Parts: sequence; C-alpha cells; structure tokens
Amino acid sequence: MMTLIRRELLDNLMTFRFAAAVFITLLLVVANTIVLLKDYEQRLTAYNKAVKESHQELREKKTYSGYAGALVVQRPPNPLSIFNLGLDKQVGNKIEVYHAFVPTIWDAEKHGADNPFLNLFTSIDIVLVFQGVLSLLALIFAYDALAGEHERGTLRLVLTHPIQRGYILCAKYISAMLCLLVPLLISLFLSIILLTTSATISLSTDDFLRIGGIVLTSLLYVSLFYLIGLCISAMTRRTSTALMLCMFVWGCLVLVYPNLILTAVDIVPQPETQTSVYNQIKQMWEKLDKEDKQFIRNDAVLSPPSRGGEDMAAGFGLEGVEYTFWKDEDKPSILLYFHQTGLYAGKIGAESEPQVPRVQDYYGFYNRETINTVQRTWLVRKPALEAIYVQPANLGRMLLRFSPVGLYDAATEAWAGTDLEGIQDFFSTVQRYRRAVVDYFYDKKIFESRQWFAADKGTADWDALPQFSFQRSDTGINAKRALPDMLLLLTMNVILFTVIMLIFIKSEV
Amino acid sequence: MWHIAKRELYDNLNSLRFALTTVLLLGLMLTNALMHLQEHPAKIKKYRSSVADALNALRSRTDLYDIAQRGPGLLYKKPSALGFCAEGGDTLLPDAVGRNDTVWEDGELKSFWTMKYPSTTPDLKDIRSDITKVDWAFIIGSVLSLIALLFTFDSISGERERGTLRLIVANSIPRHTVLTGKFLGALISITIPFTLAVLMNLLVISMSSHIRLDAEAWGRLSIIIFLVLVYTCLFLALGLLVSARARQSAVSLVILLLTWIVFVVFMPSVLPSIVSGFSPAPMTADEFQERIVQLDRELLNKYDNRLWADETLKTKQVRSEYVTRDAEIQERLNEEHLTQQIDQVQRARTVSRVSPVTIFQHLLESFAGTGFGRHLQFVENAQRYARQFREFVVDTDRSDPESLHLIGVREGMSQKPVNPAAVPKFEDTLSLSKDFNAAAVDLLLLTLFVIVLLSGAYLAFVRVEV
Repeated sequence: MMTLIRRELLDNLMTFRFAAAVFITLLLVVANTIVLLKDYEQRLTAYNKAVKESHQELREKKTYSGYAGALVVQRPPNPLSIFNLGLDKQVGNKIEVYHAFVPTIWDAEKHGADNPFLNLFTSIDIVLVFQGVLSLLALIFAYDALAGEHERGTLRLVLTHPIQRGYILCAKYISAMLCLLVPLLISLFLSIILLTTSATISLSTDDFLRIGGIVLTSLLYVSLFYLIGLCISAMTRRTSTALMLCMFVWGCLVLVYPNLILTAVDIVPQPETQTSVYNQIKQMWEKLDKEDKQFIRNDAVLSPPSRGGEDMAAGFGLEGVEYTFWKDEDKPSILLYFHQTGLYAGKIGAESEPQVPRVQDYYGFYNRETINTVQRTWLVRKPALEAIYVQPANLGRMLLRFSPVGLYDAATEAWAGTDLEGIQDFFSTVQRYRRAVVDYFYDKKIFESRQWFAADKGTADWDALPQFSFQRSDTGINAKRALPDMLLLLTMNVILFTVIMLIFIKSEV
Repeated sequence: MWHIAKRELYDNLNSLRFALTTVLLLGLMLTNALMHLQEHPAKIKKYRSSVADALNALRSRTDLYDIAQRGPGLLYKKPSALGFCAEGGDTLLPDAVGRNDTVWEDGELKSFWTMKYPSTTPDLKDIRSDITKVDWAFIIGSVLSLIALLFTFDSISGERERGTLRLIVANSIPRHTVLTGKFLGALISITIPFTLAVLMNLLVISMSSHIRLDAEAWGRLSIIIFLVLVYTCLFLALGLLVSARARQSAVSLVILLLTWIVFVVFMPSVLPSIVSGFSPAPMTADEFQERIVQLDRELLNKYDNRLWADETLKTKQVRSEYVTRDAEIQERLNEEHLTQQIDQVQRARTVSRVSPVTIFQHLLESFAGTGFGRHLQFVENAQRYARQFREFVVDTDRSDPESLHLIGVREGMSQKPVNPAAVPKFEDTLSLSKDFNAAAVDLLLLTLFVIVLLSGAYLAFVRVEV
C-alpha cells in the first residue's frame, strides 16, 4: 500500500502540471491577498473614521430628542472577508438607531463609498481562486489516473500483483490529495503570513479556527472534484475522452451553472403583497397620528380652545421654541414608514413654565405610543421583509447548491461569517441595542423629561447611554452554520467514491 | 489546404466535444434570449415613462424664469436594444444625470438648475448572490474561449503523439498550409454550433412583438459577430501555438487551461483592483459635500451684504450674478468630481486591456451600446444638451426687448410666455461612428493579439521537429 502511494506521489510530484499548479495558485493567491488586504485596510479606515464622527455628532446634540439621525452604529469590516467576501461589502454598513423603527439590514446605508464606478470591476477573494484553480487542477490530476494506466497497459501490470483493487484506488486518491494539498496549503500559509505582517489586521485564535474550517471545506471541495475526475476516468477507456468530459463538466459546474441558474431563475418580489403590507403599516401609523392629534386636542393647555386646535406646529405656544422638526421615512420598497414630530427649545420663557409638565406628559405618551406602534408594525414588517428579500435570496443560494461550487461557497462564507446569517448577527445586535436604548430611556424617564426637548435645565448626558458593541459569533456557531453544506460535500464525496469503487472493481482490464 | 480543413472538420464533427459544445451554446444562448425578452420591455417602459414625465414637467411651464430655474430635471439614459450582447454592468451605472430639486431658496431667489451626476451605490437591499449575467460577452468571452482551446490543444501535439504528424509533413504540402488547414478546420467547427446558437438567439428575440431591432442594431450585431470570430481566432491561435510547442497534449492542455484561467477569469478583476487601489483616489462623497458647503459659504460671504440691500437695478444685477455664479460653481465642482472618478476607472480599464477577454468585453460593450464607454457618451450628450438649453434661455430672454436681461432673477427675465414646443428636449442617442472611435484602440489591440499569436503559431509549427 505504502509503495503504491509512494509511486503515485512521485509520479504526480514530478510532473509539469504539478509545478504549474503550485505556481499559478501561489501567484493568484498572493496577488489577491495583497489587493484584498489593501481593500480591507481602506474599509477599516473608513469604519474608524465613521465611528469617530458619529460619536462626535451625537455629543453635539443638546436634547435627547436630537438623537434622531445622530445615534448611528457602524458595521466593522470582517477580516475574514479576505477569504470569502460574501455579503460583507455588498450590504450597508451604517445604521441609525432610533425608537421609531426597528433597524434591519435593508435600512443600513454605506459610508465612505468613494468611487461608485469601481463597482464595475468584480472583486475576487481567495476562496474564488481556489474554487476555479483547485477544481481545475483536481480534474487535471484525475482524468488519466485510471484511463491513462488503462491505455498504457500498466493497469494490467499493477493488477497482476496480489493487491486488492480498492487499495489501488485508495493509494491513487491519497497521493493525489496530498499533491493537491501542497498548493492549497502553501498559498494559504503565504496569505496568512501577509495578513499577520499587516499592522491593521489582527487575527484571533478563533479566526485561525475559522480559517482551519475553510481549509477543511476546501479539502472536501477539491476531493470532490478529484473524485468526479476519477469517476469519469474510470468510466471512459480513453484519456482524451476523459479529458474532454472533465473539461466540460468543469465548465458546466464552475463557470456556467451558477451564472446560468441565477440568470434564468430571476426571482422578483411580488409587488402586490408588498403594497398591501406597506398600506397596513401606514394605517397603523395613521392611527397613531390620530391618537396623537386627539391627545393634543383634548388638552386645554397644549392646545387651548382660544387658539382653535393649533398644536405641535406652533410649538405648543411655548416661549423659547427655536424650531419644530419632522422626521419622516417613507420607503415602500423596504416597508419603512414612520412620521415623528418634535421641537427644540433653547430657553423656555418663564411665562410658559407651567405648560412644560404638560408637554413632558405629551412626549411621554407620544413616545410610548410610537414604540408600541413600532412593535405592532414590526410584527407584519418582519415576515414581509423575509418574504420579499430573504426568501428569494435563499432560494437562489439553494439552487446554487446543486453545484459543488455553491456548496463550497456557502460553507466557506459561513466559516468566514460573511454569509447572510453572519451579517444578520450584526443587525440583530443592533436591534437589541435599540431595545436597550429604549429601555434606558424608559428607565431614566427620559421620554417624559424636560431634556427631551429643552436644553435650558441640564442637557442630554450621552455618556450614560448604553454603549454599542458587536462581537462576531462564536466559532461554534460558524461551524454549525457551515456543517450542513460540509456534510453535503462529504456525502457527495462518499457516494462518488463508492461509485468509482464499484465501477473499478467491475471493470475488465 | 481545404483537404486538411475538411478532414479536421469531419474529425471534429464526430467528436464528443462538438456535441457538448452545441448543447452548451444552445442552452446558454436560449437562456440569454429568454431573459432579454423578459427584462428589456420593462426597461424600455420605465425609460419612456420617466422621459415623458420629465418632458411634461418641462412643457407645463411657460414662464421663462421657471423654465430656467427648474430646468429639464433629470436626463435619462436610453437603454440599448442590444443589452443582451453585453450587460456591461449597467445596473451599477446611474441611468440619469441632471437634477430634480431646488438646492436652496432664499426669499425670491432660488438656485438654478445645474448638471449633477448622481452616484449609484449598488442596490443595498439586494442580498442575493453576486453573479455574472449570462450575456454574449460571458458566453463568448469565457465559455467559447475555453471551447476554442479545447478544440485546438491536441491538434498538433495529438497528431505527434499518434505519429500521424510525421505522415502529413512527409507529404509535399508546405507546413503553413497544414497549419492554415488545421486552423480553418477548427474555426469552422466552432462556428457551426456558434452560428446555430446565435441564429436561435436572434430568432427568439426578433420574434417577440415587444422588441424591434432596427437596421442600425442589425449592423451593430454584424460587427459584433465579426468581433466574435476575431476573438475566437485569437484563442484558436493560442491553442495551436501551445500545441505546437508542447510535447504531449496533456501538457499543452495544462498550459492552456492555466493561461486561460489567469487571463480570462482572474486578470479582468485583479488588475483593475490593483491599479485603482494604487492610483490617486478621487474625493469621497463626504469630501465632496464639504467642498460644496465651503464654496457656498465663500460665495455667500462675498455677496451677502449686497444681496438684499435695496431693490435697485444694481442690487438685482448682484442677485443675478450671485445665482449665476452659484450655478457655475456647483456645476464645475460636480464635473470635477465626475472627472476624477472617471480618470480612476479609465486607468484601471487601460491596464486591464492586458487580458484579451477585457478587450473583447470593451468592444462588445461599445458596439452593444452598454457599459462604461456608453455611459461617458451619455454624459457627454447630456452636457451638450445642458449647454443648448442654457443658450435657449439666454436667446429667448434676449429676443424680448422688455426684459432686463438679468438671468437668475424673476423680474429681471422675460415675462413673455414661452412656447413649450420651442424648449429643446433631450434625447439620448447612440452614434455608431463615436462607438467606432471609442473602440478603435481595443480593435487594434485585439487584431494585434491575433496577429502575434498566429505568427507565433506559424513559427512554432514551422520549426517543430517531428
């Protein structure tokens, strides 16, 4: 057995294809790492700058109600996006935290998008290099493994020895995999060296575990392609036919299928459900608006009969109101709708001081009702957003999984944490943070405080506000997300291996 | 020679690769046609309705001041009828320039309409996987080029391995004839499935009642098909060259595949990233905003105390000057920003021309009227129209003797109602001659590539030892 492996290994190692394989993989991986590293550094700088700016902007607000649009959290770039970019660059990385809506992935915007035209050039990550090059190499190693020996007649020689056919197959498999491991590992080592020497990127132990996961997945992927090649090689008698079939299979699986299927199955959201849900949400907000007006109209202080139902717009007749403001969002495509009013008073005149408690009461009521309305709208908005955006995206990813490329991509994305779930982790953290901010406002009675709208007796204290922090999910969770796809890859490996074994044992030499 | 070509052709026609190629190309082209039928009418409809809206808004105004102040709103890019040939990242490019809003309002003074170049961030709502659209550029640029290599990798090395090369060369046929015969044979055997697929694609597209291809579109299509042939020749020549040099067909294939994957798959995206990463970055959106605010403030400081002093003619002149200067500054800054962005992309595009597939992609985009080159043409069209529009405003004002000729102030401009039909309207046009000019460099480069590779193949084959 060992002799067989050694023979095969030497056979493979001494070939031109092996040298070319190592060279090309190294070249591409190193070139890409440099590009991706630079890109990551740029994104990190933009992130740090944005964090600093939003921190400062919030502190400039004197009243609590001024936090609308100023309390912004930023999504840090994921260092493992160098391995698989996934959605890391595609979705927004700047999101506002406000009590009048639940922040989702679709509400996020982009900071520091410098040259939008550069999006014309597709970006390539390390997994993509492996996806293309290693699969091709695996096939090149495999196509003549059996058909070639058959043609040269050496298979007959080998089989005359008292060795089981299964052993021969195993020896071939193991040696080829060892050979394919060489370019994979060397290039990964080089890119990790590049990463660790960079000052901006810091990889934790967890990150190395995740990279280990990516390597493992790559191994399964390469092995699958080797087995596909071996299967073709076992089925065909001639190397030229095997080669041709291998190349077409590669072209179809790697190049054509992923693009073709997603072009063909262009899943478009249904506008009808979208509009109906949007109208439902709008109605809820209109109900709030009505209650709000009712509250003001019933209140003799806020809206005295003498002024004929004049309300918010006039600043409740408070002396010292500098401005009143409206904050509206009206985005039917992401089912976002809200309407908030407020006012800013610099120094409230002494004559309207008796009115202040009523205004405080009003804001207590208005904000509480707003938050309740948000909860109600969220109950419809969440499933609708899932139906409009997540389901088509998941369906597309499902269809991609019919090709090993899709499985490989999905699994490595999950390891890197740049898949949809990984990105959603961030947004659920933001949602929890919004909840924490609201709870803090409730606890400290900020909604009904004077500082909500007036800056004369004490200004807003932003340092006591809960701080936002985001940690990428545990390696365990990454592993859990990657596992189904990895298991599928493994199953396909096992099935193919069995099939090859059967074909090979049955075949006549 | 024809004899050899015929022999090659028969060999190929019976082979597995021919059958697989036919099936693959037919499938891809059919998908492409069906997708185009689904998408194109919607695009056209959207374009028509937005253009009609903009035009109605423009025509609904009769006051010269209103017309000049609101301007023609947004100017829309016309979707190309040949979008199925090259999608060209059109979803990543803005489909309109100009502006719809009034930037500032100060009493009676309002900002004037200027050209603005909105940037499109890619659709952030979209969380679907990133893919390359299956357009002709993909089908031919990636798939057909791979197929071309698969048809030629063993054409010489294979014969040598089997020993038949010796037989052929032993005949009294000159070697270049053998090579040409092989080349033609491979070319014809690729052209057959390709022609079938293209015919089916065009048949499906032209049968639809929603899409009408006019004479110019057919002209462009024939240029595109010619380009496809040239591009295929390039890869056939590459295949022959490597095949003549390599001892074994397996080695030749490995070299070819690795070259292919580097040049076709990776270079088009890695090179631009490197170049754009290391070239001076244009000002970011934030910096741009800061600059605008700063310039606005400077201008206002200069005019502020004189702007509302009194209601004399002199003050009105100042107001007019202020509004005009403001519009000029806005426009100049916007243009500067755009130029910087374009420069960065142009540098990246220039370097990426090392890869033949990028050249081909550029060519296809130029002739299909999509992509970045087309966008530049559209911007130029819009800028020309903006000048024309301003000239119209000035001329109309001048033709009215009662007007004070103070552009930018309501009472300083002609009060006569303007005939809506006289206002120039924007229509985005594609010009074949301009496309040709834009494509000239790429065309030359592609031809150069083909010639170099063909002569390389010839030299290699002539000197080959059998």
